[in-house]
Amino acid sequence: MKYEIVSPRIGTPGDTYEPVDGVNVEALVAGGFIIQSPTKAPKGAKTKTDTNEE
Amino acid sequence: MATSTYLSSPNVTVNSISLQDQCHGLTFTRTIEALESTAFGSGSRVYVAGLENSTLSLDLYLSFAASETYATLKNLVGTSTTVSWSASATSPGTATNPTMTLTGAYLEALPYEMALGSLGQISVVFTGGIYSVVEV
Repeated sequence: MKYEIVSPRIGTPGDTYEPVDGVNVEALVAGGFIIQSPTKAPKGAKTKTDTNEE
Repeated sequence: MATSTYLSSPNVTVNSISLQDQCHGLTFTRTIEALESTAFGSGSRVYVAGLENSTLSLDLYLSFAASETYATLKNLVGTSTTVSWSASATSPGTATNPTMTLTGAYLEALPYEMALGSLGQISVVFTGGIYSVVEV
């Protein structure tokens, strides 16, 4: 799970937050200090469509 | 004689959040419990080291604004977290400016009062955890 910094109290907003050992990440999310980075939907397999009408 | 004067730049982070601009006092007591092992024949009490049970007390101004004191602490009550502090925020983690850390320190309570005309303040106590010092 990736997190993005929101509050400058933690780091530069927009940067990726790397959780440190012992840090309560859930509390950081609940407090609005970081957010979960939006995850991209996996691309589907490419399929070739035959357009040749023979 | 070298002394340490805390003028403006001590730093403290709670759960990796810097509360330097809200903290105005800090008390750390490193405690390793004394277990009595006095036996027959001893002329005085004898102790051996038990478990470590250090405490860190922070005196903070209580702001309810976003990303401030209350937002930092409200979700930590009843949980353990990491707390770090150093005498100066400039170049921490050195021999002359060590960074102290309690990892796994427990926050039991979030006590505060609201009084008309007074500045909101809160004192919180983190208990237990593993104490370490970085002084490279």
